[in-house]
Amino acid sequence: MRALMMVLAMAMSVALHAAEDKYEFSTPERAATFKELTHELRCPKCQNQNIADSDAIVAKDLRDKVVTLVHDGKSKQEVIDYMIDRYGYFVHYQPPVTPATIILWVLPILIVIIGFGFIIFRQKKASRKQDWNPDDEKKLAKLIAQYQRKEQQ
Amino acid sequence: MNKKFLALIPFLIFMLLCVFLYQGLFGNPRELQTGRIGQAMPSFTLPDLMDESKQWKNTDLLGDVYLLNVWGTWCPTCIAELGYLEQLREQGIRIIGLYYEQAYDPDFGDHFDITALREEVKTMLNRAGDPYQFNILDLERTLALDLGVSGAPETFLVNKEGKILLHHTGDINPRVWRAKFAPIIQELSE
Repeated sequence: MRALMMVLAMAMSVALHAAEDKYEFSTPERAATFKELTHELRCPKCQNQNIADSDAIVAKDLRDKVVTLVHDGKSKQEVIDYMIDRYGYFVHYQPPVTPATIILWVLPILIVIIGFGFIIFRQKKASRKQDWNPDDEKKLAKLIAQYQRKEQQ
Repeated sequence: MNKKFLALIPFLIFMLLCVFLYQGLFGNPRELQTGRIGQAMPSFTLPDLMDESKQWKNTDLLGDVYLLNVWGTWCPTCIAELGYLEQLREQGIRIIGLYYEQAYDPDFGDHFDITALREEVKTMLNRAGDPYQFNILDLERTLALDLGVSGAPETFLVNKEGKILLHHTGDINPRVWRAKFAPIIQELSE
């Protein structure tokens, strides 16, 4: 069973590399742009795969389109905009900053700020309680004296 | 009092999380907001499925509200919705097919034969119902890509001026029709 899984996994990774190597580019920069794009663009048919990873027909169509656009000398952002134009923001793994999505950026920062605020607030409160006054000093001396007597007995 | 309230905070956060996750159970992750809604139908020139000498242009479709239904005989859900779409046609809804072919692509089919495909389509439409005014053949899936189609079946609702009002992913059944399509068509006919 395990051997079978291994073979399957290997076959799949070979197939994946084959899909990426099939395309040829005039410059290494374009090849790099293509690679970045196919890893950043999301397959619209699949729930969570990029278009380099997916075997869906639409993923193949998008890969082919990315190749054509990159060949035409389009920049990375232009290709992303082209895809968003057709498939919506879903197609890109980097969500845009809009009023609806701003919470994704603000919430983590807010949580850290609130967390630190809470810690500082607690420390201040605790330190305020620990005011050491002469009454406490007397109480302490009395307690020490009590225990010393106990030990002597 | 203040202490008690503070102790409640984790519980409140937990409850909020529960509400959020519970809603997630009923969401449809396949429901996509694609880019073309509110825009004009992309321009295209594509052949008729049954007769390649006939070329369809986006301008040929103007003047009437229509549904553009992306389908293929390889897609079971598309076949299943043909019957209901035919009923819609009988109610006067204009439905145009966009034939989404996979076998033409060497990565997805061994051979492609247009004559055999036409025969298959004819047989299928005779058996399951024929809702279409005509079918546009998009062999290279260029129009499909321009429309943001990710598979089949998908249906677009387009108004008289050629503006896309709705992009529905998945089958059309009476429930979907009542909820999504009928209100817009009602509004257009007023």
